Amino acid sequence: MSGETPTNLPSEAELAEMSRDELVRLGTKLDGVELVHYEEKWPVEGTKAERRAQRSVAAWFLLAAVTGIAFLGVFLFWPWQYEAPHSDKHLLYLAYNPLIGLFMGLSVLAIGVGAVLYTKKFLPDEIAVQQRGDGKSSEVDRATLVAELADAGERSGIARRSLIKRTAGLGAGVFGLGVAVVPLGALIKNPWSDSESKNSLWHTSWKPENGEKVYLRRHTGNFHEIVKVRPEDIEPGGFETVFPFRESERGDEHALVSALKRSDAPVMLIRLRPNQPIVKRAGQEDFNFGDLYAFSKICTHLGCPTSLFEQQTGLLLCPCHQSQFDVFHYAKPRFGPATRPLPQLPITVDEDGYLIARGDFIEAVGPAFWERKS
Amino acid sequence: MTTAPAKTATKRARARTKLRRRVAGLLALGFALLSAGLLFSAFAPQAQTAQAQQDSALVRQGEQLYKNTCSTCHGKSLEGVKDRGPTLVGVGDAAVYFQTSTGRMPMARQEAQAHRKPQKLSDEDIAALMAYINANGGEGPKKPAESGEALRGDNPARGGELFRLNCGNCHNASGRGGALSSGKFAPTLDGVSEEQIYTAMLTGPQNMPKFGERQLTPDEKKDIIAYVKSVTDGNNNPGGNPIGGFGPVSEGLIAFIVGIAALVGVTLWIGAKA
Repeated sequence: MSGETPTNLPSEAELAEMSRDELVRLGTKLDGVELVHYEEKWPVEGTKAERRAQRSVAAWFLLAAVTGIAFLGVFLFWPWQYEAPHSDKHLLYLAYNPLIGLFMGLSVLAIGVGAVLYTKKFLPDEIAVQQRGDGKSSEVDRATLVAELADAGERSGIARRSLIKRTAGLGAGVFGLGVAVVPLGALIKNPWSDSESKNSLWHTSWKPENGEKVYLRRHTGNFHEIVKVRPEDIEPGGFETVFPFRESERGDEHALVSALKRSDAPVMLIRLRPNQPIVKRAGQEDFNFGDLYAFSKICTHLGCPTSLFEQQTGLLLCPCHQSQFDVFHYAKPRFGPATRPLPQLPITVDEDGYLIARGDFIEAVGPAFWERKS
Repeated sequence: MTTAPAKTATKRARARTKLRRRVAGLLALGFALLSAGLLFSAFAPQAQTAQAQQDSALVRQGEQLYKNTCSTCHGKSLEGVKDRGPTLVGVGDAAVYFQTSTGRMPMARQEAQAHRKPQKLSDEDIAALMAYINANGGEGPKKPAESGEALRGDNPARGGELFRLNCGNCHNASGRGGALSSGKFAPTLDGVSEEQIYTAMLTGPQNMPKFGERQLTPDEKKDIIAYVKSVTDGNNNPGGNPIGGFGPVSEGLIAFIVGIAALVGVTLWIGAKA
């Protein structure tokens, strides 16, 4: 805006006389821009070449419309459901995603090409020269702006009125605290309140409630199916991930699904081969049932599933940070960043021959937290 | 002429004693044979003789093969050799089939784990070894009677769920395999036949856990096979190149490099044309 002040501005009468071309030139001149070369692409209207150019641009826009319709049609009506590779509809299914992408991409591309072509073929050739500015504003502008700002601050009187200043600070501060509490408050929990609940950090969903039996349940891929595990289901050298099940959950769809999804629930049931030398942890000598051992699947490092089981070496590997736990040695860490053994679940068999948990883990599962002493 | 009747009398008597002796001899022989047969049938192990008689030639061939190719590491009578090879008692013919048909056995050398190699033994030799192990190795998992596509279940979706629950930990969600400890690894499942997948689940070769028929039913195993077959051998490859099949990491990197390069190229081209 400022800078050099234009010297010879036209008067109102002169302005009214000026044509649009002259006004454009005046406008650019006032901004310090000189139009050196400014020429129509098609000075003569309606030539063959112009019509050809017009058609080529229109063709791209038409292509955009057609492929857009094709995209909509494929998106709405193409058979998108999964078909196995061995079925004859597999190719149709396979084509769904690429076709959507192809048509949508073509449509966007055609609009873009059309727009670029239009500017190339129809916008006038223009060469403009603009003087580069000196960098900072003029001395007058800078001095007056500082004075204006200082004046506004002074005249508002806020510097003198400490009551207003303090109450405004208080109001804004409390409001800001409220804004911070909403997202952060949810992160702060008292781990000691209700520490006996199965929802606390100290316990898991294996914790028996009201003396009800907690069975070991197999995940068959169907969240609503209930299959209880028997010791003879697992071959020596076999292993399986099991989840807690209570008879009171039978028929309760929500409970059945969430039992398989709770992050503290997965337990690896491992059957060692007979005569395998074993070191048991002090105080947990009777946690196994014969050759069957049950360990929490949650890595004690950062909580990944430690389910890569090597049945000959007895190692459980964690895929995230390569911790290794030795099943032959109470799942003690052998390698990697984990420092604590995987907690062991005490198991036995009930009178019907199903495996049940004798109680919850005797320590918290998963990664460490502040209040954990070991 | 007087001697003539006497002669005929003694002749008659002699013929009679001869007949008696013959009958008695026959009876004694029959009795002896019968009692020997009874004794034999009482003391001989019935099942084994029957099996040995059935395919004894195949078992003999298998025994010969076993002595030549396997006994160094697995022992003269399947008992195993310390630090070389495990006992083969109770492994069943499923294990023999898996290990030999994938070329893992006979092993070239002792290392972290046996690698998949071109099959060394002929199909006939494998059948003979299977018969030998069946005859001498006791009860063990059997190779399923069905083969090929008959082992593919009709619900690959359920198979996929079960695969991710039981197998994907080591073999990767789409069967690409992955690393284990100390140089061991879970192999890729590309190019593995239906029978091999089935017998691997049954027997738990090397460090793979065993998945018995009571843990994963035959139907569930077949669904898993159907899933594996639908994601391996280039079947899960709509983009033309799986780029390792490890998911978003390699795909993202390629998309980034190729995509950015293409965008830069197009920008330069547009700039040059303007």
